[in-house]
Amino acid sequence: MRSGYFKETIAQQIDLTDSAVVRIWLALLVVVLVVAPFLLNPFYLSLLTMMAITMIGALGLNILTGWTGLISLGHVGFMVLGAYAYAISTSTWKLDPLIGLLLAGLVPAFASIVVGIPSLRLTGLYLAITTLAFAFIINQLILEFDGLTQGARGIFVTRPTILGVSFKSDTAFALLCMALAALTLVATLNLRRSRVGRALVAIRDNDIAARVMGIDLTVYKLNAFITSSFIIGVSGALYGMFLSYVTVEGFPFLLSIEALAILIVGGIGTALGAVLGTIFIVLLPEFTSELFSLLGDETARTLSTGAHELKSMLYGVVIILFLRFQPHGLVGLWRDCKRLWVNWPLRF
Amino acid sequence: MSIRKAMIFAAASLLLSGPRCLAADQGVTDTEILLGEVEPLTGPPALLGVAHNLGVRLALAEVNAKGGIHGRKLRLMALDDGYVSSRTVQSLRKLISVDKVFALTSLSGSGQAVASLPVVEEAGIPTIVSIGPVTPIYTPPRKNIFVVGQAYEEGMHQLALFLADKFPGKKWGVVTQDDDYGVALREGLKKAKAEKNFNVVFESIYKRNQQDFSSEMLRAKDAGVEVFIAGGIISENVAMLKEMEKLGIKPATGIFWPGRVEAMLKLAGPASDGIYAVDYVEPIASEEGQRFVELAKKYLSAEEMGRVNRYTMTGYAGARVLLAAIEKCGKDLTWVCTNNELAKTKELATGIMAPISFEEGSRFSNQKVQIMQADFKDLAFKPVK
Repeated sequence: MRSGYFKETIAQQIDLTDSAVVRIWLALLVVVLVVAPFLLNPFYLSLLTMMAITMIGALGLNILTGWTGLISLGHVGFMVLGAYAYAISTSTWKLDPLIGLLLAGLVPAFASIVVGIPSLRLTGLYLAITTLAFAFIINQLILEFDGLTQGARGIFVTRPTILGVSFKSDTAFALLCMALAALTLVATLNLRRSRVGRALVAIRDNDIAARVMGIDLTVYKLNAFITSSFIIGVSGALYGMFLSYVTVEGFPFLLSIEALAILIVGGIGTALGAVLGTIFIVLLPEFTSELFSLLGDETARTLSTGAHELKSMLYGVVIILFLRFQPHGLVGLWRDCKRLWVNWPLRF
Repeated sequence: MSIRKAMIFAAASLLLSGPRCLAADQGVTDTEILLGEVEPLTGPPALLGVAHNLGVRLALAEVNAKGGIHGRKLRLMALDDGYVSSRTVQSLRKLISVDKVFALTSLSGSGQAVASLPVVEEAGIPTIVSIGPVTPIYTPPRKNIFVVGQAYEEGMHQLALFLADKFPGKKWGVVTQDDDYGVALREGLKKAKAEKNFNVVFESIYKRNQQDFSSEMLRAKDAGVEVFIAGGIISENVAMLKEMEKLGIKPATGIFWPGRVEAMLKLAGPASDGIYAVDYVEPIASEEGQRFVELAKKYLSAEEMGRVNRYTMTGYAGARVLLAAIEKCGKDLTWVCTNNELAKTKELATGIMAPISFEEGSRFSNQKVQIMQADFKDLAFKPVK
């Protein structure tokens, strides 16, 4: 008699899901997400679009930071490169948007080799500082080469028409972003369960042990840099399209910090964590605003000019409390909920 | 036309025009008109955002105290974007489609406003821009976006012409920022240089938010700079002035309006005495400025009065232009009418800048600038006669 549920083959072990119920829920989610852009008002639609764009970037960073354990603060540098690659190729050179999107991935991927090779011997804070410096260098180069990048003036970007399908409307653009986010999610999940993904996690857990097992650290770390930058570059291009205007100023350093916050709050090292973290961080300012509005106009008037500062502090307090009481992030919370559901009324 | 056909035609017209009318009248009830704005209300840029917000609130409070517009009280909803473009765009979408404001009184800073143009233009909502008046916002003119102020290029052009006339044959030094603001200043300076042919011996572009200018100022000293353009905002200009004080040099210094706030004089200390500034807004120390302060005291708290600066005046003036247009539309308030009335604005006196007008087909008020000088003793900028 079976005493539990066991996965008996490697195929079962690496299967994305073997549950019919999960598949049904996922199918329902896809239907809801496809229908939602047609029903939502422009504000909620823009939130959904931002979530999709942010999720692509977070999944990209998750490959480097979450799986390989290489902390990067240069995330925003790759985003800027992707946005400019798309803007220059489509607005200045008038290339096809599909080629623009491809370049938006390839240019940061190439740049990541330049920053990746000297960074191979670095880990932890040293690597973080190196990648941070890279982001500043990229900004400076963009401003210096103003013949190509139009310097501080920036470049206007229109939304694309791909294979005859126009993505100019908010609804169509949201669908494009969500489709690319879904594609990125599936791609990263597949990468994680491949030999490459396992090698990356092995490097994160113990790079000396990984080397002993025959994993070439140079190749795999570079691989992580390139893949991560490619995905982040595409998210940068989409972010540029969302803003319709690409300029260095539009990509503040804060975006790098937010991306790391997404991974930490979501649960570092998992794709689901990146997804949940994205939803949480994108919605948190709206949530705190709503919470604040419950205080009423009279309280806001009493707080006067300090009201918005207080709201901004509330945003920080929520993140701190979350990390204090749920250090494994939203993924940990989700796992606790699942265990509670399965084992109830016993303790989980 | 038969009665039946006429009825079908009328019904079809109502169906087709219905949503447009409803959209145009959003934010307006029998008792209230809801306005919205997005600006930085937290962090260092809040110095301008909060001040601007107070100016708009002041204009609204003044009108509300007189009973509102055609019996409708005015209410303002302000959202914070932290000076991040994506948040500006999202906040604007929220104001337009969720909160359903009738008009907008700010699109945040210049970069944020440029990024917001597609959203605001597509909506058609009456919009006033009075924080960062840069050329892409009003060129080409957009039917619903009105810019109250003066272009950075022209302001710099006028400041440089003034300094070139006052200090002929001197050596110039210029330090500007690496963003669109810096580009505009350099273009204005280039134009003035072509006219007056002054000698620029030192030029440097710094990264935004840079705080240490020791290297730049040392190079300026070595180059023998006698006329200096400090092209920073506030903290950067303060750092430059302090560094020059440390090095024992005091060239004739010109600053630009984003940094022309009284708080800057306090921070820079005696080093700020005598610096020249250019602005299209009256200095608070002037008679007009004092009248404005008296008005503000009636409606703002003591804590709020401490945050009043030139942006309070630009916010106030921009809101006054919008409210005048709303008033002219009477009871049947629509976006179309408000945009039309805004375009017809002629010689609207606000008391704190030259009368505001929009030329035929233009959406830029092209305000006249004036030169002023800092008086550290009174912590004030005073007009140069």
